[in-house]
Amino acid sequence: MSKFKSIICLFFRELGYFFKGAAGNLFSWEFLTVLLPLLGLWELLPRLGLVRRTLAPPLSEVAVTFWDMAANRGFLSDIGNSMGKFFLGLGIAIITAIPIGLLMGWNVSIRKRILPLFQLLSPIPPPAWVPITIIIFGVGLPMQIFLIFLAAFYPILFNTYQAAKDTDGRYLASARIFGASELTLILHVYFWHSIGAIIMSVKTGVAMGLVMLVIAEMYGGRTGIGYVLNETKDYFRIPQMVVCMATLGVIGWFLIEVLKFAELKLAVWKGGQ
Amino acid sequence: MIESRNVSKFFSIVNDDRTADGITAVLSVSLAIDDGKIVSLLGPSGCGKSTFLEILGGLQAPTEGSVFIDGVQVLEPLPSTRKEMEAYSRRHKLLSPFANSMFANSPKHDIAMIFQDYAVFPWMTVLQNVMFTLKLRGVPRREREGKALVYLGKVGLTDSLRKYPLQLSGGMRQRLALARALSVEPRIILMDEPFAAADILTRERLQDDLLRLWSEIGITIVMVTHDPEEALYLSDEIVVFSPNPGSIRNRFTVNAQRPRHRNDPELRELKSRINALFRYDAIHENDYSI
Repeated sequence: MSKFKSIICLFFRELGYFFKGAAGNLFSWEFLTVLLPLLGLWELLPRLGLVRRTLAPPLSEVAVTFWDMAANRGFLSDIGNSMGKFFLGLGIAIITAIPIGLLMGWNVSIRKRILPLFQLLSPIPPPAWVPITIIIFGVGLPMQIFLIFLAAFYPILFNTYQAAKDTDGRYLASARIFGASELTLILHVYFWHSIGAIIMSVKTGVAMGLVMLVIAEMYGGRTGIGYVLNETKDYFRIPQMVVCMATLGVIGWFLIEVLKFAELKLAVWKGGQ
Repeated sequence: MIESRNVSKFFSIVNDDRTADGITAVLSVSLAIDDGKIVSLLGPSGCGKSTFLEILGGLQAPTEGSVFIDGVQVLEPLPSTRKEMEAYSRRHKLLSPFANSMFANSPKHDIAMIFQDYAVFPWMTVLQNVMFTLKLRGVPRREREGKALVYLGKVGLTDSLRKYPLQLSGGMRQRLALARALSVEPRIILMDEPFAAADILTRERLQDDLLRLWSEIGITIVMVTHDPEEALYLSDEIVVFSPNPGSIRNRFTVNAQRPRHRNDPELRELKSRINALFRYDAIHENDYSI
């Protein structure tokens, strides 16, 4: 029981560190001297009539709109819906790309068979996959998840592969001489040697995945932030549009902060402190 | 008993003007090393002694000849005919010739190795490094921590169990490498210039530590070094290598009683003989190159 309690304590302590680190980035004095004037201009320029208010709604109006959308139009469930798809797509990309990348980095024979295929497929921009995906999967969840997966897959795969290939031969030799099997080498040497590059690539994957999330939701489906965003265009609801864009920005920022924190925890040995 | 029979290693290289060339790193080295001895391979840098040590450990394949540890060949012989070559490359499509096995952790020979630049895993703490090595040797999970603590205690690292190697000084990292090698209780330890990176005071302390542990456990140590004093202080036998091509130049047996004194007249005399040898070789550098 006390062990359970200490794990809970640890969890909340780490959570505290995380928010402190993430907020510290945003709310530093140096940055506030830039952020606050910008927000002030956003509020004042439309109100003073210097820019057309219908085209650029002031900050307070956007905030009220967000509240209205969250309370009355089910915008929160849209956010949840989008995030569900996003994490499913990103998760599938992570659990497939990392092992394939490690295997390609580990063995020349595998690399020569698989790598050219990915090198041929990866230059196709993910949005170009939209039409064929709609034809195969139809409009709906599988198509959206597949597109997000596709966007995140290649950066993770190539970075993992590159880092695994560059694994220092001394570490491999020293593990082998003590009797490491190849599986142990992959799990304990290749993987950890590449962990920095892997986290970097997941950051890229998050960025690419968000792009495809919006595109996928614009093209198919009746839910999600991208769908709401597309709809606002048709009805010329500029405040809602700004709310959607800001939400996407905040989500992206938050996920990158999570990954930075993960990097801090997993690659603690790199700093040496 | 380590036995190398006519071990040679050739490399092919490409020159700057895109012509091919060959380098003889090791030429026809035959050497028998008895159990429980400390043997130093001494020579200037680039004389093939490190390559030879890696061949002994099975990290490189000799081009010709073979190495036996207690009568078992360290690496399978390289193919010589075209047919053998095809079979060899088919067999090693997935597993490299140096790999142990795909899924089961088991060393091919009962040896441990200490590398020049330590090669301890920077992503594991001091304790994890030693425990990981024990895991590779198939030590049951319950016994690992206790055993790791014993050997970390022997090298005086008990205070830094949770530190990462990058937080340690060079000397401490070397101790960690030593603890890691000793913890698996091997019969043979191969060392590649183990103390070259340490400053002179640390080096002398590490040498004394090594001798103390060696007399406690009684293992065979094969050590590569370019420092004659280190070789004289530590070893029972000194094998002097000469470069171009790397081959055995001379062998000296050191009979001085242990514990030795660094200024022992017998060691002094041997040292002047070794130095004279190196000086002679430096002057007559081109005389024995082929």
